[in-house]
Amino acid sequence: MKIDRRSFLSLGIGVAAGTALSPLPWKLTDDLSIWTQNWPWTPVPEIGETSHVNSVCTLCPGGCGISVRKIEGRGVKIEGMTGHPVNQGGICALGLSGLQLLYGPTRIKTPLRRIGKRGEDRWEKISWEQAISEIAEKLDVLRTSGNSHTIAGIAGSRQGTVSQLFKRFLTAYGSPNFFHTPSCVDTYQLAFQYMNGVSGAPGFDLENADVILSFGSGLLDGWGSPVRMFKANTAWRKANAHVIQIEPRLSRTAAKADRWIAINPGTEAALALGVSHVLIKELLFDKEFVDSHTDGFESFVTSKGEMKKGFRQTVLENYSPETVARITGIDPSAIILLAREFAKAKAPLALCGKGQGIIPGSLAEAMAVHALNALVGSVNRKGGVFPMPETEIQVWHEVAMDSVAAVGINQTNLIGAPPNSPCGTNQIPAAILSGKGYPLNALFVLESNPLYTMADSKTVRDAFDKIPFLVSLSSFMDETARYADIVLPNHIYLERIEDAPAPTGFPKPVISLSKPVFKPQFNTKHAGDTLILLAKEMGGAVADAFPWDNFEACLEEVMGDKMKTLQEKGFWVDSDAAIPDWKAAFKTPSGKFQFSPAEATLGFVPVAIEGDSTFPLLLIPYETMRMAGGYIANPPFMTKTVEDTILKLNDSFIEINPKTAQSNQLSEGDFVVVQTSRGQARGRVHLEEGIMPGVIALPRGLGHTAYDGYIANKGINANQLIGPVQDPVSGLDAAWGIRAKLSKA
Amino acid sequence: MKQEHGGNGTRKYGMVIDLDLCTGCGSCMVACMAENNVPFREDETDKLKSITWMRVYKLTNGKPYPETDICYLPRPCQHCEGSHGHSPCVSVCPATATDYDSQTGIVSQIYTRCFGCRYCMAACPYHARYFNWYDPIWPEGMEKYLNPNVSPRMRGVVEKCSFCFHRYQAAKDKAYLDGQKEIEEDAYQTACTQACPAGAITFGDLDNPDHAVHKLKKQPGAFRLLERLGTNTKVYYVSSREWVRRAGDNYLKTEGPKKVV
Amino acid sequence: MDSALIPNGVRRCSLGKFLVPLAVVGAVLLWGVYAMLLCWFKGLNQTNMNDNYGFALWIWADLAVIALGGGAFFTGFLKYLIGKDELKHIINYAVLIGFICYSSALLILAIDIGQPLRGWFIFWHANVHSMLTEVAFCLSCYFMVLTIEYIPLILENRQIDKVPFFHHLSHNMHGTMAVFAATGAFLSFFHQGSLGGVAGVLFGRPFAYREGLFIWPWTFFLFTWSAAAYGPCFTLLVTRITEAVTGKKLVKDNVVELLAKISGWMMTTYIIAKIIDTLYWANVTAPSKGFNLIDFYSNNGFYGIWILVMEIILGGIVPAAILITDKGRKSPVVRTVAFVLAVIGVSVNRWVMVLQVMAVPVMPFDQWALYYPSWQEVATTILPVAYGIILIMISYRYLPIFPQEAELNPAE
Repeated sequence: MKIDRRSFLSLGIGVAAGTALSPLPWKLTDDLSIWTQNWPWTPVPEIGETSHVNSVCTLCPGGCGISVRKIEGRGVKIEGMTGHPVNQGGICALGLSGLQLLYGPTRIKTPLRRIGKRGEDRWEKISWEQAISEIAEKLDVLRTSGNSHTIAGIAGSRQGTVSQLFKRFLTAYGSPNFFHTPSCVDTYQLAFQYMNGVSGAPGFDLENADVILSFGSGLLDGWGSPVRMFKANTAWRKANAHVIQIEPRLSRTAAKADRWIAINPGTEAALALGVSHVLIKELLFDKEFVDSHTDGFESFVTSKGEMKKGFRQTVLENYSPETVARITGIDPSAIILLAREFAKAKAPLALCGKGQGIIPGSLAEAMAVHALNALVGSVNRKGGVFPMPETEIQVWHEVAMDSVAAVGINQTNLIGAPPNSPCGTNQIPAAILSGKGYPLNALFVLESNPLYTMADSKTVRDAFDKIPFLVSLSSFMDETARYADIVLPNHIYLERIEDAPAPTGFPKPVISLSKPVFKPQFNTKHAGDTLILLAKEMGGAVADAFPWDNFEACLEEVMGDKMKTLQEKGFWVDSDAAIPDWKAAFKTPSGKFQFSPAEATLGFVPVAIEGDSTFPLLLIPYETMRMAGGYIANPPFMTKTVEDTILKLNDSFIEINPKTAQSNQLSEGDFVVVQTSRGQARGRVHLEEGIMPGVIALPRGLGHTAYDGYIANKGINANQLIGPVQDPVSGLDAAWGIRAKLSKA
Repeated sequence: MKQEHGGNGTRKYGMVIDLDLCTGCGSCMVACMAENNVPFREDETDKLKSITWMRVYKLTNGKPYPETDICYLPRPCQHCEGSHGHSPCVSVCPATATDYDSQTGIVSQIYTRCFGCRYCMAACPYHARYFNWYDPIWPEGMEKYLNPNVSPRMRGVVEKCSFCFHRYQAAKDKAYLDGQKEIEEDAYQTACTQACPAGAITFGDLDNPDHAVHKLKKQPGAFRLLERLGTNTKVYYVSSREWVRRAGDNYLKTEGPKKVV
Repeated sequence: MDSALIPNGVRRCSLGKFLVPLAVVGAVLLWGVYAMLLCWFKGLNQTNMNDNYGFALWIWADLAVIALGGGAFFTGFLKYLIGKDELKHIINYAVLIGFICYSSALLILAIDIGQPLRGWFIFWHANVHSMLTEVAFCLSCYFMVLTIEYIPLILENRQIDKVPFFHHLSHNMHGTMAVFAATGAFLSFFHQGSLGGVAGVLFGRPFAYREGLFIWPWTFFLFTWSAAAYGPCFTLLVTRITEAVTGKKLVKDNVVELLAKISGWMMTTYIIAKIIDTLYWANVTAPSKGFNLIDFYSNNGFYGIWILVMEIILGGIVPAAILITDKGRKSPVVRTVAFVLAVIGVSVNRWVMVLQVMAVPVMPFDQWALYYPSWQEVATTILPVAYGIILIMISYRYLPIFPQEAELNPAE
């Protein structure tokens, strides 16, 4: 049959009509839509049996109980543990993001040895045996050549059995150089040592206080144990307690406080003394407490026969409201009213430690605040502040030092301080670069990230360049791990057994137990086990100091009969703990609270902030609950909560008062270069009424260069711009800021 | 007086958020993301493309330093009832992919039915609805933490807060198995409520006098967002600050929120 | 070469001269197609739309082309139902423009939705309360009507007409065209209206929300009315452009003037209604939700009160005034200016009802959201324009679109 045009057309139309009427197109359409509902690249989470495992979160020193929801072997959610004494079921954003750290792309999956240049991020995978023996060999060489003291360790935490084990390792090896990441607790400890005569971290009975005078403490920005503080804040609201926040910036804490008093940055001590002045002058102080439990209030004659001014005279002479007003920028009448309100309270409590308290801060300030507490009798009483006994590990046998260790351990430490001095971690870079003292031959970094967290990043890096051997025991490819020569990946907190003692600032002795909720995801090792293995590999006296098969055995020995409670409940609280009686409370020579200790003089000593008049502005870094600022970098969820006025694309915003912006010809969103004597960085400005004119602020937690694409290369690391300033007495870092200038970029 | 809570098994779940207690810490946001498999990307700084079912807004009173004040306001889906369940979004969805559940008062979202026209987003004055502009991708290994009770969404559909509806279903099933008629107040709580360290969020049946929200929503200083639009929301806010209550709705110069005595 | 396809009695340029511009427009079309494919395969992240701007450039283009394509139904309505027989000289072109506009609108919708493969859920899981459902049904039906109206035109091609079957089909279809025109007018009334309803029902958006009659907000009626009023202007404007491009007079002035006059009067009535609506909304509706009129037009970098002035005065009152006066209507230049203003006016109206609705903050602590389209959006928006030009070029060349062409341009 010849197909003419007509039949061709008819055929075509017929086929088209036939197809349309057949089920085929309809079936295909349906299938396609079903396909869009099951795209193979969209994951389908597996179902399974649900279980909950209790543990503790050690991502910050807060020590909150957590409950991990698991489906078969996978963790699907971390929630607050109901009934835990610290957080009572609550949880913070970081704690909630824990599983992103567990399963995240920045975990180090196996021991690594550097093959590229430092920080180049080129590695070769090595076995644990190789890694341990290589390190042991290096250490052995140093030790036999009499250089045991030239190694150092920086631990992320000042407490806990792993840290103690780390310290023990250095002791047995023969090095006095154990350091830890510093915090305001270090300064508080000194204040307690001088004024109470007792060593211990501070415990604040905040829940029972009714007027809380915070000298810049970020009570709701992660100070102390963050979740506990949120709970406390809620309790204060319900009990009509008053919170007064003193700081130059309207922080989260200031915003939620009943009153925000803006103060010239760095003059908090002067205000504390000014308030004391009013209390003394108007006889509003707790006379009974001062009379019976304190010393050095009145002027006295020292053992050397010199007349020394007492607290009363010092304060009355030098810190009148008018004088203090000039220093702080706060109205004299406001100071008087503040003092009266503070005195009138049943349980007034003053505290300090700026932001999250990650900078130790000025000792004079801590003492002034502590003295203010003493003046109202809020020391060593309910609703007040008292030192928490340090949990020194008693059960371990003393390290039997061999001759090498005995010599090494008695050397002055890296920063030239005698043993048992305050932890001057901040002085390490300068000490290394100064060339005075001895060179540092090896540095071990345990769960800390000094290349990011220490002030003056460039100097820190220069110093690290001089250390020939750097070992990181981190779980994540952080800045320091990436700079290391060997990385010994640690289990993360969800994979390991560990004790989490004494949440910062918590007024009761609590120990929580971190449990291995999950099997290790990668070829990692518990840092405790790594240390034990290393010690055993070293042999001799070092090995003898580590008689345990593994860390768990060691922990069991340390915890003793507490272990059972810890395993069962997940935490242990010393139910017998009480506020020490007056005899035990003060161990000063006089047996009383000492207003005028011999070691340090009370008074306002401004911290010598860096920068001259060519830097017209004051830059203050600040901490926020939306950003992890320490060893832990922000997991993706947290970064997602960061406002677009803090970070936009990869640019940090520098907070500035509109008036200051105007006088610098800047408007919202302008690109600027912020410059200090330590460095400079490019960012943008965000105009905010809630910051003192002349002050600019930058959040901590940004500006990472390592980790993953979810946090790396976003924004400015404040530490690039700021340097440490040593407190004249403690030597600890007291820099609350630095002078800076802005120019349009 | 007529009892509000009928015995017909219908509930009206809602929230009371105490803005005096809220510290804006972000726990609720993260708890929600973790519970509901909310995806994330390397850059989340474009807040107009960042999926946050629960979003905490930062409000300021607009006054100059040092009179400035800040209030944080968590904003989940408001689960509007409108009049008779005609919430702004439900009534406009052409494919019935979002619906008002009269049993619970929850505005649902059926991801597999939504074809992404985004009309509901245009209708919602709270910006509570989010579009999946991108394929949700979890970095390798991270898909392990995904919650099987909430299905991950696909590119091209709208999603929003469901008041953790899967938790309601679980609680209902459990109550049924336990032979209980009522779902206990504790048995069904949203992830954000549970996580809030400040205890600022209270969740429950607004019509049930035994539930805390029933009383809390009536306290002085309670208000709802954009009440004047007639959205009839089920999320109540409480603030002792007048400027905050004023920020909860639009007022002409001569008007203002209810005075709190 | 293609002379066998060209209608009798008219002159066309050489094939070469025809193909060059066709190729240029075709290149633009391909660019649009590429952008369209990007949107389909990579998703809507190719656009600059965001969660505040869920409706953006495309939806505006969609609403605008539907309004502009309203010339088809209204001219049909005038010719077949009212009996304005002169309009038969322009109805073909009105239908063609309508067909282009509506097919473009459907294409845009298919790109705009996040899950195009599920697009048919709008019919399958239809929610009767949704204005968009009404739009989808009426739009699709009316598109079918337009196709039916367009087919006889294709069949009139010289070669196709030679086939007896098509010749008769075409003849019969012409005979029943009044029925389709009536159906079209009915459907158009609803979908134009429901497109207006899309914005008007948004009671969560005080800038868009309007009270109304039964389930229909006032915008429902205003949209239908404005499409009927402004659509013919677009038909006339495109005709004028075609005349300019071809260098020929294609439609007699009396036809143009008649349609322009009707359009002018429709516009006059519309703009009065629109002013009343605006006044009521500004003084009653918006204040009842806590808004002053000026709140919608201040504190942002773009949406000033100028846009309201432009829409109502420049794009409404001015062209209406021109077209209802003899003098204005009879001057080819002035009336063309009126057409342009009218097209701008209705486009601005649709812009405002889509983009400004999205931009205005509703929560007092919310911010104005401004938006710039991505190149993919621009390209996919230009795509229908290119497609329309091509279809017009081909149709004009091979189909007897303008019945008066031969008479007005006698062969030498």
